[in-house]
Amino acid sequence: MKPFEISIAQDGRPLIAVAGYPVAEGVLTILFGESGIGKSLSALAVAGLVEPAELTISVDRESYAHYLARGDVREYRASGFFVFQEPSSHLNPLMTLRRQLNEGSLARATNEPDVIRRLWQGNEQEAASILDVYPKPYRPSGGEKQRVLAAMAFKKMSLLRPGSSGFFVFDEPTASLDNRLRDEFIDLLVDYLPQAPAAVLLITHDYSIVARLTRRHARLSGKVAFKEMYLVRGKQEVRDFEPREYLGWVSSLKPLGPGTVPAEFALRVASGMRVLSRSYRFVRKEGDANAATLTVYKGRMTYLKGGSGLGKTTVLKTIMGLFEPEKMVVEIGGRRFTRENRRKDWSRSVWGRKMTMVFQHADEALNQRALVRDVFGGLPGFESSERNMLDALAKLFDAEAEGSFLNRPVYTLSGGQKQRLNLVRSMILQTEILLLDEPLSGLDLKASAKVIHLLEQQLARGSAILVVSHNEDIFDALTRPEDVYLLEGHKEGP
Amino acid sequence: MTRPPDFLVGLSDSLKGRLVSHAAGVVFVAVALAGFALSFEANAPAESAQERHLESYLELNGVDFGDPLDRALFRESLDRFYPGQAARNDSLLQAIDDARVRRWSGPGLRRGDTNRGFSPALLPEIAWQFAQFLLVYILALLGIYFGAERLGLYRFVKWKQGRESYLGESIRIVREYRHARANSRVRFPKGAVALDILKALGKGILTTLFFSPAYVIAYALKTSVDTSSLPFMILLALVSNGVLIQASNRFFELLVAEDRKGYVRTATVKNLHTSYEWNAKEGVPVRVLYRISQNLGPHVLRHLYENARFQFIPAMKELGSFLVTGLVIIEMALNIQGRLSYNLLQQILFGRYDVACVIIFSIFLAVKGTEVFVDTWHDFERRRYGF
Amino acid sequence: MWCAGIGCLFLWDEIFLNAPAFDRVRAALFNTLVSGAGAVFLSLVLGWASGAAFFLLEQRRARYSFALLSLVANAIRSLPQVVLVLVGYVLLNQLILAEIIRSETAQLAWVTVTVSVAVFLEVSDTIRSRLEYFRSLEFIDAMLCCGISESRIIHREILWRNSREHLLHKLIALFGVAIFLQCSVDFIVSVGLSTNVSLSNVPLTLGSLLASVDSKQDILALSNLFSDPAYITEIVVRHLQGVSAAFCIVFTLVCFFMIANGYARSRRLNGP
Repeated sequence: MKPFEISIAQDGRPLIAVAGYPVAEGVLTILFGESGIGKSLSALAVAGLVEPAELTISVDRESYAHYLARGDVREYRASGFFVFQEPSSHLNPLMTLRRQLNEGSLARATNEPDVIRRLWQGNEQEAASILDVYPKPYRPSGGEKQRVLAAMAFKKMSLLRPGSSGFFVFDEPTASLDNRLRDEFIDLLVDYLPQAPAAVLLITHDYSIVARLTRRHARLSGKVAFKEMYLVRGKQEVRDFEPREYLGWVSSLKPLGPGTVPAEFALRVASGMRVLSRSYRFVRKEGDANAATLTVYKGRMTYLKGGSGLGKTTVLKTIMGLFEPEKMVVEIGGRRFTRENRRKDWSRSVWGRKMTMVFQHADEALNQRALVRDVFGGLPGFESSERNMLDALAKLFDAEAEGSFLNRPVYTLSGGQKQRLNLVRSMILQTEILLLDEPLSGLDLKASAKVIHLLEQQLARGSAILVVSHNEDIFDALTRPEDVYLLEGHKEGP
Repeated sequence: MTRPPDFLVGLSDSLKGRLVSHAAGVVFVAVALAGFALSFEANAPAESAQERHLESYLELNGVDFGDPLDRALFRESLDRFYPGQAARNDSLLQAIDDARVRRWSGPGLRRGDTNRGFSPALLPEIAWQFAQFLLVYILALLGIYFGAERLGLYRFVKWKQGRESYLGESIRIVREYRHARANSRVRFPKGAVALDILKALGKGILTTLFFSPAYVIAYALKTSVDTSSLPFMILLALVSNGVLIQASNRFFELLVAEDRKGYVRTATVKNLHTSYEWNAKEGVPVRVLYRISQNLGPHVLRHLYENARFQFIPAMKELGSFLVTGLVIIEMALNIQGRLSYNLLQQILFGRYDVACVIIFSIFLAVKGTEVFVDTWHDFERRRYGF
Repeated sequence: MWCAGIGCLFLWDEIFLNAPAFDRVRAALFNTLVSGAGAVFLSLVLGWASGAAFFLLEQRRARYSFALLSLVANAIRSLPQVVLVLVGYVLLNQLILAEIIRSETAQLAWVTVTVSVAVFLEVSDTIRSRLEYFRSLEFIDAMLCCGISESRIIHREILWRNSREHLLHKLIALFGVAIFLQCSVDFIVSVGLSTNVSLSNVPLTLGSLLASVDSKQDILALSNLFSDPAYITEIVVRHLQGVSAAFCIVFTLVCFFMIANGYARSRRLNGP
């Protein structure tokens, strides 16, 4: 296998035109790049998994039909595997996970116990209970489903025969995993590499992988390639990514906001919040017996961490008044809110006025059918003239934000552009408090740096920011230790 | 003694809520229909006033309503006195005729007679008619359920095979012939083209048949077939009014929607069979079209079928309601004596709204019973799959 | 395709059908289509209002209002549509006899309203399912957090921008249902008991045209095709009134079903 030249168009509109899509046998290629740029679609094309009816595809200047008919391509498909991006929609809800893990060619694999033990960190009982469920949106958690899909890939890897070649793709395999599990996954992948004469492609935005691989697996330097895909005048290009670039940038990050603790807080959340039959508390460090009151000061950023699937987003939504809690005490801008408050209390005084929230998935948070200019419609206190909109976009879009950009449908933007638009929409409201759920999701390093600069400007203006993110390397550096909280949660009895 | 699985023990909260809602609906409709019936009873004295009004026309000197000339002159007079109200004048003439019939048909048919209207003695007759209606309905519904799944599955496999329509195929054959004729002497493939055109015609006729309202088909066959027989009614309910086509279309669309979902791709990379050729080694066996229980083996279609089937269950409520509509139309339009819907039409046309309300309530119960059954079944399946 | 089919039929009728009968066919088709279109428009209004009302009442946890609205909606849903339309005809009859409704236009309007009441819940259900779908995403919450009003989110962002195509698809399908219901009930009511009792004299529609004696005879003549297939030449020349009425009904139903299907497929409306 060698790098591919891929072009994909839909109804005459070019989607992807990339020469040198990085695939190499016997090499683990880590591919970074902004979300929506075409990394996954290109991988699907190479793996022969795209539905040709709706797209015009050519690979290595061959029509897709010819490409699929090639013997080597049929071999990649038969021997390889693809771990898709959204685990929920890639598992059959009417079949137990155990059955799905042992279906088709996976039934022949014998390494399941080892893989399960590694991915569940020795807790085989917990794994067994999960494998017997029918996967639903909220059970098992996203991280658990992702581990099941990864387990399928490792089982398939174990079936590779000498002389055969497979193409294995892991598309955002660590998005729902916390840092410990992410590291375990990387270690497991590295352990399987020598026995798999395959091309392995790992598509990710999680730059922390760089740190893990360079620190723990430096011996693999010849077997691991870091690449980055980016857009140049509408065409995709691939270049080498320097791990030192990322590591150096992270080490240069400094905490945002003033050093002294301001007297005034903007947001305060008491421990003991209870919502959806789960009880939550905030602590300063793991295992701490004393619960803390989460406090967000004006001009400072507070970082809330917690394990994958614990409920960090649920907590943010509850603070925002979107969930009805069973128990809650929150002070927002001097006003106290409890479970007695009705929706209209939030609507009148909080939403878009005192506080706003940026959601994780820009695809869901924005109206895909709207034009970019429509995204600014209906925002309180914002006059949606063309000048104002372009000025707002300029904060994160640079030269892209010209007049015609306003008339583009949102669905035509890349994932990274959508996430930036998502952020801009909230930031122009200039609320006292900003809640950010995975603000760097889908962004490359350059865009991430811009967002961080924008956060700095917001803090300088006096805003208070509460952020939830799995990019611990970055946010640990941007936040002062006294502003870091850990979320603990447990299920309440009936 | 083994403990039964959890999903069989007790009712789920959501099902309990739905059953309460259904019960409330039954009570609500019963009260509403009772009120409707009573309000028309309360209007009975007004009807007597109307009777007296009609009697006054019948007493007119020199007008014999049995004489066509007198009737025509009377009608013209009405048009002069009430111009532009043709409908009203027609209705009045009809009402006068009706009053004449009642006058000469004996006291048993006079309005206000104590034997008119609902009485418990009518219940056994209505119950028997309802039982017959229910039998046809249940058999037709079963037929639609299985027929829709099989037809939908057939359409889906054909769609995945990517074959063009019969007409499209015949056009392609003709084009290929023209192209080939330019280079060498070839015979016009009459047989292949004729076959495709016949198939297209047959498909068109079948589509027309499936979409035809039942009364059109029934009247077309009235002189050749006993249109009041039970088997004919079941067949008519199945094939007419577009019910089967719409049901199979719904199932087909569910399969198409499932085909786009991610788990199909996961199944593909696990090397499950993806060929849709009939009876091919890794394809789809034809027996899936006629077997009651399905075993699709290691094929991605198995995933699709199970999910589509699960989602098709709630759709049966809507289809059941539409089927009842179709059956009511069939019985009414064909004037089938002794049937529930025909009885309903009679009661409405003779103004016996209280009896009509009882019949409407029984039809409502048939639909409600279907809803309760489908909700219970769906709940069972949901709990089985951990929802 | 539908226009072409009806056009061909009219051309044929122009040649082979006598003028008064052809006028009746044209009038019947016009009345049926106008009534169907009116029913669809009214269904959209009623369905949009009720669908949005359901959603808002649920969001605001107005339990009693929601329960009452659900009760009424479920009752309407569980009553067969043909029965609802028949009840409408009964009421129409009473209104005609009481001389509240006099003109043919008003009668047709009443029939239109009756049919729309029988079918509007399908629009309401479509709207509810679209709103529920977007509620399951972060869409609504994200906009609420930005201070955008709930009514703007529901009506403009979700229903107008994201659900227009779904609604159009539903309305196209509903047009077929409305035609079917109206023609069927008109047929039933016009056939009546074949006695001199009649329910009402609404304007001529395809259903009532088909129920007239000569049209019924035309349809009955179709059974001759079994014994004498060559009789088809007589059917398409001599028995045109009934055959034209039946053709208009069936052809319209088939075409609008295929249009709805084709539209759904082209816009990929299957599933969310």
